[in-house]
Amino acid sequence: MTGEQAIRLTVNGTARSATAEVRMTLADFLRDRLALTGTHLGCEHGVCGACTVLVDGEAVRSCLMLAVQARGHDVVTVEGLADGDRMHSVQQAFWESHSFQCGFCTPGFVMSTVALLRENSDVDEQEVREALSGNICRCTGYQSIVEGVLLAARRAREEGSVL
Amino acid sequence: MTNVAGARSVGARVKRSEDPRILTGKGRYIDDVVLPGMLHAAFFRSIVPHARLASVDVSAARELPGVIAVYTGEEIKTRTKANQAGTVIGMNNMPGMKSPWFHALATDKVRFVGDPIALVVAESRYVAEDACELIVEDYEMLDPIVTYEHALDPSRPPIFDELGDNIAMTAEMAIGDIDAAFSKADRVVSATISVHRHQNVPMEGRGSIASWDPGTEQLTIHTSTQSPHMVRMLLAPQIDVPLERIRVIAGDVGGAFGLKTGLFREDVALAVASMDLGRPVKWVEDRSEHLSSSGQAREEMADLEAAVTDDGLLLAVKMNVKLNAGAYPCDPFPGAMFANSISGSFQGPTQIEAIAATTTAVFSNKATYVAYRGPWATADFVRERLLDIIARELEIDPIDIRRRNYVVRDEPPLAMLSGQPFTGVTTRESLEQAAELVDWEGFRRRQFAARDQGRYLGLGIASYLEAAPGPRNPAVGAGGGIMGNEVTHVSIERDGKTVIITQQHPHGQGHETTLAQVAADELGVRFEDITVRYGDTDITPVALVATGGSRAATMANGAVLHASRELRTKILSLTSALLEANPDDLQITEGVVSVKGSPGSNMSIVEIARIIEQQPERLPEGIDLELKVTGSYDGGMGGWSGGTHCCLVEVDVETGLVHIDRYVVVEDCGVPVNPAIVEGQVRGGVTQGIGAVLFERSSYGDDGQFLASTFMDYLLPTTTVVPNFEIHHVDTIALDPDVNFRGVGEGGMIVSPAAITNAIEDALAPLGVKVREQHLPPARILELLGTVVAE
Repeated sequence: MTGEQAIRLTVNGTARSATAEVRMTLADFLRDRLALTGTHLGCEHGVCGACTVLVDGEAVRSCLMLAVQARGHDVVTVEGLADGDRMHSVQQAFWESHSFQCGFCTPGFVMSTVALLRENSDVDEQEVREALSGNICRCTGYQSIVEGVLLAARRAREEGSVL
Repeated sequence: MTNVAGARSVGARVKRSEDPRILTGKGRYIDDVVLPGMLHAAFFRSIVPHARLASVDVSAARELPGVIAVYTGEEIKTRTKANQAGTVIGMNNMPGMKSPWFHALATDKVRFVGDPIALVVAESRYVAEDACELIVEDYEMLDPIVTYEHALDPSRPPIFDELGDNIAMTAEMAIGDIDAAFSKADRVVSATISVHRHQNVPMEGRGSIASWDPGTEQLTIHTSTQSPHMVRMLLAPQIDVPLERIRVIAGDVGGAFGLKTGLFREDVALAVASMDLGRPVKWVEDRSEHLSSSGQAREEMADLEAAVTDDGLLLAVKMNVKLNAGAYPCDPFPGAMFANSISGSFQGPTQIEAIAATTTAVFSNKATYVAYRGPWATADFVRERLLDIIARELEIDPIDIRRRNYVVRDEPPLAMLSGQPFTGVTTRESLEQAAELVDWEGFRRRQFAARDQGRYLGLGIASYLEAAPGPRNPAVGAGGGIMGNEVTHVSIERDGKTVIITQQHPHGQGHETTLAQVAADELGVRFEDITVRYGDTDITPVALVATGGSRAATMANGAVLHASRELRTKILSLTSALLEANPDDLQITEGVVSVKGSPGSNMSIVEIARIIEQQPERLPEGIDLELKVTGSYDGGMGGWSGGTHCCLVEVDVETGLVHIDRYVVVEDCGVPVNPAIVEGQVRGGVTQGIGAVLFERSSYGDDGQFLASTFMDYLLPTTTVVPNFEIHHVDTIALDPDVNFRGVGEGGMIVSPAAITNAIEDALAPLGVKVREQHLPPARILELLGTVVAE
């Protein structure tokens, strides 16, 4: 196997630098090298969406991307959304909607929702369900998650909450 | 929550205390735990279902840079005691059960695809997996045991040589006068109903870190479990470490659904490795390992003969039950034992007079059979399918056959055949409410009209009755059931804050929130000032099953309620001395004790705690200064959980796709502590039922090869296929003066497969389709329609 490569990138607004083998996934890099364990691995083959992060604003499955591919890019993880103790508006809406149970899939849903609503906060239930169909939750039956997304979307439209 | 003075917390949709950390990425799941000097493990697993293990060559793996150690089955065997699953709690010797002895890793034989053969410990998981690629094994293939027929065929080899055959358990059950009931029958309706193998699939798989401290000779296991104490109890005898030197710590658990109630073979091997190396060893399974090796559930079938009257009364049933238990029995709940639950739980809310059953559980070259959310669920599936089959034969509407068969509260029979009283049962109310909600008669008209347009609509209904915990049975005693009393600690700390230490191990159920709601009301303290602690065997009360079996609602809440009440009495007694007031004249609101009617005369619990700590002389001699209560709760008067589900579907006969148009739940789980959490449990359970019927199957080829080791093969329900649920509650019958919270975790899962399959058969009945199985993906629907030829 190849040796360690230096990787510089921006994570949650801060310049970070660490090393990784070429084969190391972005998810493992974030978790093991940067100690950002909020990004979860649910399947490691790109189906469940638990590892979703934003790369240059796009929702990406960090289990299917190599850390070296993220060199020089801007990565946002679930840890990068809240402002101190103040939750991000999507997190707050999920909290109020009792959206989750065990919490393992949650970071992926949060990041997919942020990506969705930043693109278009004028969404209806069917659009939300289609947009989140690549994230699997085993606990909730999804209804409470969809309600949370719609609540966050409404607040973004009507109250101008920051996404 | 915003606390309104005097407002009750119980019954409110209080926002969960767990969520801020979960939503911001600060949860601590097993793979988030990092210990100093920690090594990483990977298991080398069998790729064949059944073979003698002629040789295992790990020499190249040991040479790989970064590899610290490789353990074969033979090496683990020399360092551990063989295990007979279930021994510790006596589940290994149920009548008619045969229990093999086995080790953590395969030694002489491999017994399913995924059977662990060797353990590699390395500097990283990447290197550990590289090393697995270098292990060379040699198999001498044996005929696979996949089906019931294989297992009962004496010409096929036994999976465990010492048992001689592949029968894991046989049992007979007869309850009521079966012959008398059959002699009264107008006819006998026969059917064979089967359930396919599917599995729990929590989003977080299994994982553990074993950490041996050579100085103190203590072993700490960090693990993803529902039952920390059980892990400890089962591990100790196998590695010959005294119980008191094993500590199990569990943090956030990413789902379990019954899978994580015991000890896994992999955990034993990890403990051995850590004790050998003197360093922490972590293993977190990947999804392929999870699907092939963690455990699978439900593979059961029943041949039924039902004695019925021409007006649809089910008098009695004879059943021949089979269960495919897979290979190594689960510790501590061997899969075979669940075969008895199918006949044992068959009655449900019916007035049936007699049940006779023969059950056979078999071993097979499949993954271990494990408990899955409502492990007796096949009983409900079989009963509710059978009622529809009888209804169709007698040309009775499915709702009417239920009206004839379900008990009416306070009318005979007043008890089940088992003796459990029907006290407080609300099945009939839920049935009528559900029928009204779906506009039963109106639906039939729409259904009929739609057929003229070539559209096939169906309506399925099914009810269940769950002893969660069940009414107190005068013949048996407490409602707490076989798992015994629930113990909890409630205390006021030195800073005046309240701490609950529960034996539960929540993994999505929100007990940090609900237990605090109950205590807030009883103690009169602010919800925010209560901390719920769990997940460390050094501090938590011993529990056989911590969170499981829908226990928490009644048992944990009841324990907290009564312990809090006792603690409140202690606080009032101390305050009465300090304020020189009669305890009966005192109240506690928002953490402040005051004299009723003169709010100026008051003292905060914070101040009381300070006085105990710093000025105990202000209190009378001999008064109890310990603001700590250990409560034990037996379930009180208990009560039933239950309800009725209605599913409305449309089946596309061209594609075989089933669309769920509506899903209506009318349920009774007593008094909800937090309605939002109750609704979440119901929806999640039903969604797993939708998965079971329309998507999920732990599929094996006839050669024993596992065919569903990724999420491309094992399909889970997603946002676009799960409907919004309409959840309604019946007026519950309170049986206990204080505790009428009842279990709600399993109900959604146990009854929904029947409601959904009943709906599908209802839709396709005009086309002559008979549904006798649970798994109905599009390909199977097309087979049942005759569009494609069945394999």
